Amino acid sequence: MREVAVIGLGMHPWGKFGDKSVQQLCRVAVDAALKDAGVAWRDIEAVAAASSRFSGGRGWGLNGNDVIDDMGATGIPVYNLSAGCAAGGNAFNVGTMLVASGQHDMVLVVGGEKMPKGFIQTSGVEETTDPEYLRQVCIGVPGPTFWAFMCRRRMADHGTTEEQLAKIAVKARKLAVHNPNARFRKETSVEEVMGSALVSYPLRLFEICPVSDGAAAVVICSAEKARRLTTRPLWVAASAIATARFDDGIPRGLAGAVPKDGKAYHSEAAAAVRKAMEKAAIGPEGIDLIELQDNTVYYELSFPEEWGFCEPGEAEHLLESGATLPTGRLPINPSGGFISFGEATTAQGLFQICELGWQLRGEAGGRQVPDAKVGLAQTLGLGGNGSGTILKR
Amino acid sequence: MADRIPVADGLFAETKDGARLIGSRCASCGTPYFPKVDWCRHPECAASKIEDAGFGPDGTIWSCAIQDYPPPAPAKFDKPYKPYAMAVVDLADGLRVLGQIKTDDIRSVKPDMKVTLVVDALCHDDAGNEVVTWKFEVNHA
Ligand SMILES: [Zn+2]
Repeated sequence: MREVAVIGLGMHPWGKFGDKSVQQLCRVAVDAALKDAGVAWRDIEAVAAASSRFSGGRGWGLNGNDVIDDMGATGIPVYNLSAGCAAGGNAFNVGTMLVASGQHDMVLVVGGEKMPKGFIQTSGVEETTDPEYLRQVCIGVPGPTFWAFMCRRRMADHGTTEEQLAKIAVKARKLAVHNPNARFRKETSVEEVMGSALVSYPLRLFEICPVSDGAAAVVICSAEKARRLTTRPLWVAASAIATARFDDGIPRGLAGAVPKDGKAYHSEAAAAVRKAMEKAAIGPEGIDLIELQDNTVYYELSFPEEWGFCEPGEAEHLLESGATLPTGRLPINPSGGFISFGEATTAQGLFQICELGWQLRGEAGGRQVPDAKVGLAQTLGLGGNGSGTILKR
Repeated sequence: MADRIPVADGLFAETKDGARLIGSRCASCGTPYFPKVDWCRHPECAASKIEDAGFGPDGTIWSCAIQDYPPPAPAKFDKPYKPYAMAVVDLADGLRVLGQIKTDDIRSVKPDMKVTLVVDALCHDDAGNEVVTWKFEVNHA
C-alpha cells in the first residue's frame, strides 16, 4: 500500500445558517481545501463523501453527487458513505484507501450538513417492529438519555461529580474562544453550566452538543504528488473503521444481554481507535492530541480510558490537573469540540481531521498544542459505526 | 368504565407471579432477547435455537436518568408534563432492559437499587383509557 498525504484542509464555520443550502456550505469548504492544497477542482480524481441524513443528497444520501454537480461535473467516481455521525470518518477511510491502493492519486473527502431543529431523533420509522420506535413509545427514552445513563453509571463507579462534568464544558468553551470556526466562542463558568437547564439528569444543556450546520473538506493524495505540491504535507499514519460488537454492554434498542465482563461499551469506537494505533504502531504515549466525539462531556472522561490512555477512574484527575488542556500531557479537543461547535452529524469526522491538520502544522493560534507531531481523531455513529484516524507530520 | 390498554401488543403480560416481559431465548447459547426474535444473533452461537421466554420480575438498576424535558414524539405522556425516572435494569435472568421507574420521588432513584418489574400507567388516551407499559418499582426492604 502507498503512503497517503493530507495536503488541503477547508471548513465552513459551524452554526445556524438558515438562509444557506448544504451545497453552499460544502462549496465554501471545498474551495478552501482546494486552495489550501494548491490544486484545481479538475485535479480531483474521485470524491468520497459523507452521506447526509438530514439535508441535500436528493433524499437518497447522494451528497457527493451534489458536490460534483456544483463544482462542475467532470465524470469522476463518487463514493457516498452512510454511517450516521461516523460518516465523515468512514468517508476519510475510503478516501485514503483509494489513494493507498493506487486507484487514484488525488481525492477529495467532504461532508456537509444542515440539521433540523431540536435534538436528533434516532428513528423516523413508526413501526412496532422497530426497537427504537418501541423504546420511545413504550418508555419515552430519547437519544440524549443514553448519554445520561452512561454518565450516571460512571458517577456510581468513580464518584464523578456534577461540578467535574461542568468543568469539561468550561474547558471546551475556553478553547473555542480561539477557534474562528466554532459556534459558541464565549467563555462560560462552572456556575453558568450548572445553572443551565437539566436535559436528562445528570446532564445539562451546556454539557451536550446541540445541532449545527457546517461543512468540512480535505484533499488527500499520493506521496509523489504531495512532494511536488507542498513542503509541509501531513501523513495518514492510520485510518480504521469498525462496528459495534454483539457483546457491547449498551442496550441500543430496548434490551440486550447483561454483558459478561461488564465493561465493554462503545466497542465500535474502541475497536477503530485501537486498530488505528496498532496499524500506525503508535501507542497512547506517542499521541500528542486527541479530537474525540464529545456529544456530551461524559465522553471526554470515558473514551480515553476505553482506549488505554489512562486507568479507569483517572480521567477526572486528568481534567482537574489540566492534563487535557493544549499545554497538558494529554490534550483533548483543543478545537473546543462538539460542545462548542454543535453537531453537523456527517461533517464532524472531517471537522476533526481539519483540526488535527491545523494543529500539526502549528496553525491553531491560541488553542495550539505546542509542537504537536501526532494526532488522533475518533467518531461514533448511529448503527454502531466508529472510526479512528491518526495523522502525523 | 375506562379500560387498561397496553401501549404495544405482545411485549409484556401480568401473571399470578408478577409481570413478565415477553421475549425469546436461544436454547443453544442462552442469549436472551427482548422483544422476540426469529433467530439467534450471537456470532459465537453454534446453531440458532430460538424459544419463547418470559423475563422478570427481579432486577437491579445498572444505571438511571431523569427525563427532565418533555421527550419529542412519538413518546407518550399526560399533560401537563411531569419529569419521570428511567433506568437500565439488569434482570436476574440475564436481560439488560430499559424502563421507566414507577415512583413519585424520581430524584431518589439510584444505580444498584433492587427493583421489580410491574405493569403501570404510561398515559391516558383521548377516551380516558389508561395506556399501560412495563415499568420497574424500587423494592423497599
Ligand atoms: Zn444462540
